[in-house]
Amino acid sequence: MVARDRLNQLKEKFGASILRADLPADNRLFVIIEPSAVKAVCLYIFRDLDARYVISIGADDRPYSGKFLVAHDFAFDRDHVLCSILVYVSAASPRIDSITEVVPAASWAEREMRDLVGIEPVGHRYMKRLVLPDGWPENMHPLRKDVPWNQVPEGFDDTRELTFDEPPEGCMVVPFGPFHPTLDEPAHFRLYVEGEMVRGCEYRGFMAHRGIEKLAETVLSYNDIPMLAERICGICGCVHSVAYAQSVEDAAALKPPPRAEYIRTIMLELERLHSHLLWTGLACHIVGFDTLFMQSFRIREPIMWIAEKITGNRKTYGLCVIGGVRWDITPEVKTELSHVLDKLESEWRPVVDAVSKDKNIQKRTSGVGVANLKLVKDEALLGPVARAAGADLDCRRDHPYAAYDRVEFNVITAHGGDVWSRVLVRIQEVFESIRIIRQCLEKMEPGPIQLQINDELPAGRMGLSSVEAPRGESHHFVITGENNHPRRWRVRAPTYQNLQAVPAMIKDQQIADMTISLGSIDPCFSCTDRLETIDVRSGAVKVWSQQELLKLTRAKKV
Amino acid sequence: MKETAICLGAGRVTLPYPAAAKPVPEKFRGRPIFDARKCIGCAGCANNCPAREILIYDVSQEIRVLEYLGRRCTYCGRCADVCPEKAITMSKDFETATNQISDTRQRIELFMSTCQRCGRCFTEPSALETLKMKGYRFDDLQHDRWVFHSETFLEKDKVADDIEIELD
Amino acid sequence: MNLHVIWAIVGMVLNVGVVLLAAPLFQGILRKITARIQSRQGPPIRQPYLDLLKLLGKEDIESGQTPAMQRFAAYLALASVLTAACLVPMGFRAPLNGAGDVILLIYLLTLCGICTLLAGLAAGSTYSLVGISREMMTMIALEPLFAIAIVVGAIHAHSFRLDSVLTGSVYSTARFPWSGALMLAVILLSFQAFVQRVPFDTSEAETELMEGPLMEYSGPKLALFKYASMAKLLVYSALFVAMFVPWGSGPSFFPGVGWLIFWAKVSVLVLLVTVVAATHARYRIDQAIRFFAGLLAVALVALVLATYGH
Repeated sequence: MVARDRLNQLKEKFGASILRADLPADNRLFVIIEPSAVKAVCLYIFRDLDARYVISIGADDRPYSGKFLVAHDFAFDRDHVLCSILVYVSAASPRIDSITEVVPAASWAEREMRDLVGIEPVGHRYMKRLVLPDGWPENMHPLRKDVPWNQVPEGFDDTRELTFDEPPEGCMVVPFGPFHPTLDEPAHFRLYVEGEMVRGCEYRGFMAHRGIEKLAETVLSYNDIPMLAERICGICGCVHSVAYAQSVEDAAALKPPPRAEYIRTIMLELERLHSHLLWTGLACHIVGFDTLFMQSFRIREPIMWIAEKITGNRKTYGLCVIGGVRWDITPEVKTELSHVLDKLESEWRPVVDAVSKDKNIQKRTSGVGVANLKLVKDEALLGPVARAAGADLDCRRDHPYAAYDRVEFNVITAHGGDVWSRVLVRIQEVFESIRIIRQCLEKMEPGPIQLQINDELPAGRMGLSSVEAPRGESHHFVITGENNHPRRWRVRAPTYQNLQAVPAMIKDQQIADMTISLGSIDPCFSCTDRLETIDVRSGAVKVWSQQELLKLTRAKKV
Repeated sequence: MKETAICLGAGRVTLPYPAAAKPVPEKFRGRPIFDARKCIGCAGCANNCPAREILIYDVSQEIRVLEYLGRRCTYCGRCADVCPEKAITMSKDFETATNQISDTRQRIELFMSTCQRCGRCFTEPSALETLKMKGYRFDDLQHDRWVFHSETFLEKDKVADDIEIELD
Repeated sequence: MNLHVIWAIVGMVLNVGVVLLAAPLFQGILRKITARIQSRQGPPIRQPYLDLLKLLGKEDIESGQTPAMQRFAAYLALASVLTAACLVPMGFRAPLNGAGDVILLIYLLTLCGICTLLAGLAAGSTYSLVGISREMMTMIALEPLFAIAIVVGAIHAHSFRLDSVLTGSVYSTARFPWSGALMLAVILLSFQAFVQRVPFDTSEAETELMEGPLMEYSGPKLALFKYASMAKLLVYSALFVAMFVPWGSGPSFFPGVGWLIFWAKVSVLVLLVTVVAATHARYRIDQAIRFFAGLLAVALVALVLATYGH
């Protein structure tokens, strides 16, 4: 079925509530509905039509339509359709029915909507601050258009600690983070433990919030934003810059030249290679197996060198502009890339054999951090986590972008849903990526790598783009704007969804398995926290306030 | 134990950096170097810098100052891409740590001539200067010769046999 | 009488001196070999000396719930290991031979482990408490193994004296020494745990528990603990060699050569520890405990065999 068929299905059931529908292409659908029908429509789409929930977005549209905008994005994977349910809510009292009851995965997105834009989700069962720290003043919502990007809020209380829930009966609290050797980025997991078993967990994060979306809307222009987007994450930079460029191209109906699409595909797959190799090393390090950690990194190093040869940098490729790419693949680079891939494949096979047959690692990772198919559907889990549970999801095949519709590859799934299955999925995906890059190198034809764009991009258009990052689907939503910059840009990284399921995954497991469970979703906290306009040190780990901690470390007892 | 065999086969991979220098590939994007002789003050770089680290202001009617601050520079290379005169090159320099932030600055002061008809600025004092910058020729009247700065723009096949191409 | 005392003092100084000087050297060699196995260059061999010197030069901050216990635990850790070193024959007769017997040795070795518990208690934070609970579980399952080995030797030697037991007495039966062979296997399999290396170093697992019991230590006290851990490796290796592989380095052998052969054997053992540590992943605490419980059962069988003269 194409988008029009899905729209007809919606019209049949909810004809009266649909105000308008846009069908810019066969694989995109934008439906504007009445606020009162939002819960019913989302329930229908999520359960009856079995769509996958992607993200909910809040935007301040008051300068243009006088209202706030709420968008709920869903994906019909089998039909290759991305759809967005839009609701305009009144500026005077911005409230909307929460859909968390029917779609549990929307929990964080709605809390974020409330924190940053000020749209209140009515009926949300856990209305606590998500993004903004607890000391932030009440009525200041950073993503609103009347708030300047560099304003420090008045009345900010930087001594206020985070408020936590009560632990259940008989449990001791073990704080995990924000400073912990395994976590590369700060996050706070408050574990409720009974002896060695974890009974529950509370997550407070968003400590690496940086104000990216606000910057994009105010001071940056269309072609500056890919440079910012690729710095959202320390590993999946190319993914975000490609996803952003694609969403703007989607909105403005631009198609990059074929060679640019192939080059984007090649760089995306190179990124997937180095990310999976890094993850394998990290997982081995977490279980204490440093030798394999060193080997994974040694085998991965040539990929970084070839990326440096192609783009000038090991990780921040600076690859995309709207309408194309900046770097070309010359014939020498092509031969060298083929050699690198051959060597990588021959070196990775023995490692795969060693890991698959290693009883030690298997014992540490089997049955740990299990996510079953029900959790995958309810919490909208993505990427290798979902594929390891048996869900057949892959944006490269379901929503083809760049040159993926012209190459052949397999989607690797497993059935255990535990950490061991995720290890297997990731190490096999390495071979598929190598296959894709080889096909691209063969099929690439010479030609231009950038579009010549002579007119200003039309304002007010919406674009969606889903790209398969190494960790799952990365989804970008853009509303184009005047003066060469977008009105709204929302980045949804895969870890955003995967993290919400961590408490369920670590429940009734041992503390020792906490790190490997967390590590197995390959968390990228930088991708998850994208917004902040002020740096706050409020992650008090125990019961001390910041003042007391400072005093204690400075006191000297001789 | 199999893993040990793999590792021992690989040998030692640690590079002796910083004891020995590590060369970087051709297209490596290091610190941008601004060439004052080629800059025409168009402000394309300042407009396109994502970190907003290039500042341009007119001190007076004739003097335009371009300052590259370099503090938040991410070495993305957009300035080098958009410069019409190729005055910015991304060097191979990555060891840029320093104690003084002013070491990262590069400042270009341009003398802009004003057009006598419309009064707006343009940089080169004369068109001949611009030609010289681009590697064209200067005329050696004393010895009746043409002397070129570089051969890059010349066609490979000579048009006539009696023309001597001398390089500066 | 006087000669004995002088000999004891000289021997103590020699033993303790060698342990103190050589422990960081062995640690350095261990780290270098691990690095080479991992295809890296690794730190220079003198690195542990530099580490200890650096730590000793830092500011001595006391934190945690009971600072006095913190100090006490640090001093006791190194002191108990060095005292144990005086009781182990390292190429010649143990210096404190007449002053103690193997029972004292067993207790001193257990004391080293208790120091980590004290350290964790002194810190009093959640992570250190979880760390010491792991350490306690490990100790309960682990210490008996060496104790049983020594007792088997004592049974065969019909005495508890250091010089009779710690000279390969596990093998000194008329018939084939089954108990000796069993105990050799048991101790070899669990040796990594005694010296706190992968795959059995759960209580200090950095990635899981932020160093566990040693969390609150910094500066000179941390230096003491690190030194104690390096010295433990040496002392346990020496004990192993003295008990199970004594040939050629006993007190009766030609003095200087025996001493050198002894240290050569210790080096081989350290090498073995390194290689095993570099090629295995860490076991979770319950898996480790189950492993030790199995070994304990085998050790008890060996004990029974020993009493029957096998």
